[in-house]
Amino acid sequence: MRAESVEPVALDASSRSDANVPIVRMSAINKWYGSYHALRDIDLRVASGERIVVCGPSGSGKSTLVRTINLLEPFEHGQLHVCGIDVDADDITRTARIAINRRVAMVFQQFNLFPHMTVLQNLTVGPIFGSGVNRSEARQRALHYLERVGLTDYADRHPAQLSGGQQQRVAIARALCTRPRLVLFDEPTAALDPEMVNEVLQTMETLAGEGMTMIVVTHEMGFARRVADRVVFMDQGQIIETAPPDRFFDAPQSARLRTFLGQVLSH
Amino acid sequence: MTAVFVRESPVAPRVAPARALAPGERLRRWLLPTPAIGVVSVLLLAVLLVTGARFFDWAIVQAHWRGASSAACPGDGGACWSFVVARWKPWLVGNYPSDQLWRPLTCFAVFVLFWAWVVRRPHRASLLRVLQGFIAMPVAFFLILIGGGPLPVVVPTQWGGLLVTLVVTLATFATALPLGLCLALGRRSHWPVVRLLCGTFVEAMRAVPLLAVLFIAATLLPLFLPRDLAIGLFARAATAFALFNAAMAAEVFRGGLQAVGRGQIEAATTVGLGDFAALRLVVLPQALTAVVPAVVNIMIAVIKETTLLSVIGVSDLLGAIEIGAKSPDWVGEPNILTSGYVFLALAYLGVCYALSRYSRRLERAR
Repeated sequence: MRAESVEPVALDASSRSDANVPIVRMSAINKWYGSYHALRDIDLRVASGERIVVCGPSGSGKSTLVRTINLLEPFEHGQLHVCGIDVDADDITRTARIAINRRVAMVFQQFNLFPHMTVLQNLTVGPIFGSGVNRSEARQRALHYLERVGLTDYADRHPAQLSGGQQQRVAIARALCTRPRLVLFDEPTAALDPEMVNEVLQTMETLAGEGMTMIVVTHEMGFARRVADRVVFMDQGQIIETAPPDRFFDAPQSARLRTFLGQVLSH
Repeated sequence: MTAVFVRESPVAPRVAPARALAPGERLRRWLLPTPAIGVVSVLLLAVLLVTGARFFDWAIVQAHWRGASSAACPGDGGACWSFVVARWKPWLVGNYPSDQLWRPLTCFAVFVLFWAWVVRRPHRASLLRVLQGFIAMPVAFFLILIGGGPLPVVVPTQWGGLLVTLVVTLATFATALPLGLCLALGRRSHWPVVRLLCGTFVEAMRAVPLLAVLFIAATLLPLFLPRDLAIGLFARAATAFALFNAAMAAEVFRGGLQAVGRGQIEAATTVGLGDFAALRLVVLPQALTAVVPAVVNIMIAVIKETTLLSVIGVSDLLGAIEIGAKSPDWVGEPNILTSGYVFLALAYLGVCYALSRYSRRLERAR
């Protein structure tokens, strides 16, 4: 769709050079909602530039997993390392949360655009008031990414005037405007009408093709097969199986994954 | 019927049919759709007509318009508007010195101009300016009215009537609304002590009648304050109003803050905003827009509550009318005081109805 617009992303230079150092390292992370054990002994390493797809039945903890990475959800036990910041379960501070969120961006299922701002303001508010980028540069950056998602003409509209697919593409542009080293996607196409799913998936594929580190929670198995370096299967708060897509889909090892794949791929 | 259907020629859009009903028939359907409702309608209309005619007879036909004392209003049959007309100055400004009358009149004029601008302002984006105006006006009015420097000082005990109503109302807006917002934010604080204090204050104020708060402020408060900090009755009453209505506003703002979804705060976090920036740029603009109609309701309540000031001896419009009816010139028929009350009711009706219409418009604009 936008193959002609592929151009080198202005990625943080360091994120390419130290590809051996994991950008995310989760060690023995456990989380409870009250007495419900939502994440159980999660160990996950994500290298810089890797594309991870997380899937699993609903309630399996996949959203909680990605929301733990940028500390939207605190955890009760374990260690987290994100973009050079170490967080221990006993010491989750506001400072750490803000520091991580300046390096990690997120795209939500419900878009969560700011309804009282124009598209352009949605894109510039983070860089200007969060990372102290000056206004003209933030504006240029915003227009650049807006062009990349093909929505330059919509800069002065409000989110409510856009279709769901357009809103989600704006949300992706907003995420990129903060120049993140890692983008988390929490079921980015689940709230979309079927005919709008593809435009969002293609935007994400373009991004993946440019080397962005991505962790994507999704039910779009076709996307996982095409884009992922590794697919993670979760069930009941645990990581059951992790494998490259060809092995994941064609030679699943665990019985639970085989059942799951039978359910999602049969129709 | 076949199971397969394929439309061959598309249906072009057509104009909706006109409502063809005779005016008489429309009226009949509107007023008397069924016999029972028809009987009720006719009865209610009759009641309305009879009371309306009686009021018209009292207020217009038999009313007395001229005269400078109760002698102008003999008998009980009609309203005594001469009482209202003759004592316009106490109604408007109380005992404010006659040679300084331009000061309160300037305040009234500024307020009316400001309100005209608010109602006619082209775009909702200037809501912030409206708020700033509501904060700046009472401060400016207070300074102009009390004087000092080149202007002779006029102490608040000399103010009265509509002027007191205006100043107390505006001062209450300017203090109660920001304080209410702080209380609402305090109830969401991460710090338990702040949360507890704000919650206790709001719940306590909401559970006590305003009249009790006013009496406490008027009589009990001076006992607690140091002797040389003798603040006037006017200031005490204004403080009581501010605190009471701050609690009311806090509940409204709390509702507005809750209406902003958690996803908005999360999105603000993930684009790198700190807590304060998220509050200022993302949460508050949405929360405040959501509660504008409810805030206008509080304003209407405040305007009407100012009549309670007369109970503790501050001469607002109601106080001025009661004092006027006791003055030697106007002692006599009970009709005189009634006319004053009706005038007061009409004045409040005008102001509050206008405000409530404006709030409806804001609600529709959302």
